[in-house]
Amino acid sequence: MKKVTKGFAPLVALALVAAACGGDDAADESADAPAAAEEPADEPAAADEPADEPAAADEPADEPADEPAELLFDYGVSDDTIRIGLNADLSGPFASLVSQIVEGQEVYFEMVNEMGGVAGREVELVILDNAYDVPTHLANYEEFRLESEEGVVFFTQSTGSPHTAATVDALAEDNLLAIPLTWYSGWADPDLGANVVEINATYCVESMNGVQYLAETFDAETIAIVSLAGEYGQDGAQGAKLAAEALGLEIVYDGEGAIAGGDQTPIVTELVAAQPDIVWMTTTPTTFAEIFGGSVAQGLQAQWSGNSPTYSYLLLNTALADALSAYYTFSTYTALWGANDSEGMQLVISEMQKRRPDAIFSDNYIRGFLEAMTAHQILMAAADAGDITRAGILEAFQSAEIDFMGLAPNQTWAGDPNDYIVRETYLYDVDASIFTPDATVSDADGSTGSVLAAGPYAGSLAEGFTYEGPCFVAG
Amino acid sequence: MSTSQSKRRISNGAAFMIAVFVPITIFLIVQLFSDPAVFLTTILKSLAMGSTYAIIALGFVLIFKATEVVNFSQGALAMIGALFISFLVADETIPIVPWWSEGNLVPIRNPIYDLGLPSWMAWGLSFIVALFFAALIGLFLERVAIRPMIGQPLFSVAVITLGLEISLRVLANDSAKLKLRNTNTPWSGKGFNIGDNFLYWSFFAAMIAAAISVVAVFLFYRSKLGIAMRAVARDQEAAMAQGIPIGRVFAIAWGAGAALAAVGGLFATEPPIKQTGAVDAETSLVAFRALPAVILGGLDSVQGAILGGLIVGSAEIFAGQYLSGYTSVLGAGYPLVIPYVVMIIGLIVKPYGLFGTEEIRRV
Repeated sequence: MKKVTKGFAPLVALALVAAACGGDDAADESADAPAAAEEPADEPAAADEPADEPAAADEPADEPADEPAELLFDYGVSDDTIRIGLNADLSGPFASLVSQIVEGQEVYFEMVNEMGGVAGREVELVILDNAYDVPTHLANYEEFRLESEEGVVFFTQSTGSPHTAATVDALAEDNLLAIPLTWYSGWADPDLGANVVEINATYCVESMNGVQYLAETFDAETIAIVSLAGEYGQDGAQGAKLAAEALGLEIVYDGEGAIAGGDQTPIVTELVAAQPDIVWMTTTPTTFAEIFGGSVAQGLQAQWSGNSPTYSYLLLNTALADALSAYYTFSTYTALWGANDSEGMQLVISEMQKRRPDAIFSDNYIRGFLEAMTAHQILMAAADAGDITRAGILEAFQSAEIDFMGLAPNQTWAGDPNDYIVRETYLYDVDASIFTPDATVSDADGSTGSVLAAGPYAGSLAEGFTYEGPCFVAG
Repeated sequence: MSTSQSKRRISNGAAFMIAVFVPITIFLIVQLFSDPAVFLTTILKSLAMGSTYAIIALGFVLIFKATEVVNFSQGALAMIGALFISFLVADETIPIVPWWSEGNLVPIRNPIYDLGLPSWMAWGLSFIVALFFAALIGLFLERVAIRPMIGQPLFSVAVITLGLEISLRVLANDSAKLKLRNTNTPWSGKGFNIGDNFLYWSFFAAMIAAAISVVAVFLFYRSKLGIAMRAVARDQEAAMAQGIPIGRVFAIAWGAGAALAAVGGLFATEPPIKQTGAVDAETSLVAFRALPAVILGGLDSVQGAILGGLIVGSAEIFAGQYLSGYTSVLGAGYPLVIPYVVMIIGLIVKPYGLFGTEEIRRV
């Protein structure tokens, strides 16, 4: 397996130094100064065939010792630009979240470009709004897939499970990779997600870790499972059921797919009647608040947790704050802003403060950085191999090892899914007493009320889990 | 309709009601004796839910009685009113959107919180100020969007209110960057236990607010202005001939309707409707949940609004509590359907609503 961080780590170190110095002059000192392809191929090689006459990188400006003499490239790449695509929800239900993730990517690649880009080319983000609408997502895809310089070489954002699923055949046909903004366990299945670059643990694994952590921490014997219908809700619920079975927990209420819009009284009634020791939920923060608040009000004293994003720290700004402190454990995939002092965390914070000082910081920017770091390191691996065609990037992806520098567990996609699926998640205690109402992240000015309890945490169930396919498949 | 037809309809209606309500009553009696604490809690939740629906229904009725228009923007007005309360009491600021701010809110300190008053009193005064702001919004909307449509087809005006609903909701979401905004009520999250069941003070606050609203509306209709409003509702041309300023009557109806919507919006953020005590993007949907209560009670009836609210709220809560074991048959979202089922049953028996005037055309 090829480690791709040899050029990446110095770049990050330089970024941190530059941020610390507050200067912008590091751009000229990139340790990875790439070769400039002066004459791109007039007719790019077809994606499913290697370029017969690749564009030559004639005179590298500052050639590193192991820089290949020639660089192959095709669609979405010109002699000075690499175009990467974001098919993102900028006006739909997840717009506020996705906009920040996209901005995180923008900040990251501003830093990369300032330091010389990738293979002597500036990385250009091509962003189209899918409005969380599958037909719009597919229409956007047609623009991205163009087999010319106007296309893209890689997707660093594909918002939505059904949206991404609708493009998997086209992605395979076009040799394009896509980073999905979903944690569905199906992406690790080569039959479904061969061209999908899933990052972090899946909903299913997150549930296993969360249920095991709750069961062992609170000595539980019974569990209730409540979820939305669909890939998110039911993938999470299936993971919780696998964990319950393995741990010998009795499922006293099975509400998989039971959450519908509006009044949640039926679920509250069933939960209270069942009196579980722990409750695992896979839903949205507002629906969770209704079910959690209603159940606690009727005397249920269970311990609760759920897949991300079931919980939001904003709930600490409501009447539920004390109950959340007492009964909720927050589960998620990554370190939260300021939760550790890793190199990656310093990078996110310093770059955001430097390039977006007026932004309202949030943990979503970390997700943006994770996506961008994945894309950047795969691109660099491809460039090191002398091939940044779509096919070359696909090959680089299959042997890459991504270093998230402490923001999240590192990631590979080499070999069998059981060799590479991420098994670690993060669990946080909720503490309303330290919550600052105006805080959007935990830093010197305030706290979002989340205190790291365990993480990266991989319970024995997740560690021993054998992946044989998606935990949930829609009927 | 002949007398015999009318009698036959009443007879059929009575038989239908007996067939529906006798089994329900027996079922509820069984539940009462199987767990009295849960039953009592459910009754109180029902009254609270019904009270909130009744407050919102009163806003609909007030505007309808004056203008003959169903105001579909009541939900957005409820959300905006609750947002005003949140700004004034949680942020302790008065929100304004000056022309130079590119649509962003610029907060000014709420002076009530600098008077050194007890917190509950500062909250109460700020609440009244918020209702005043909500009423101003209602007056503004009436002036720019409704009054120019006097004499035009009512259907067109109703569609305009639907447009207002969407526009106001989007504007409020965007300008406030709405996620969860606390309303910091003095009773927020507080209550007491009956057995294992927690009864929120918000249940009782909603009932008291509904009672005050009803009394205020009754008194209003007995005032000179209220009589003028009733005259306008009966015959606009005749009222104009008598020198009644129709525009002013319309404006007052919209202002009062918007203030009632704000009260309803506040209670739509609290138990039993929501657990968070916070305004969110879904707050405006409460008006659509209350709409069956308005139709069931009769669009032009204050008594109907109250009774319709209580019936619909109770049906929703009781069904949620006692039919939860049948979601595989009824579907997970059945409590939202219950108000409409009750409304349909009611309209089969009383097509103009329980207290609606028979000449009224429904929109």
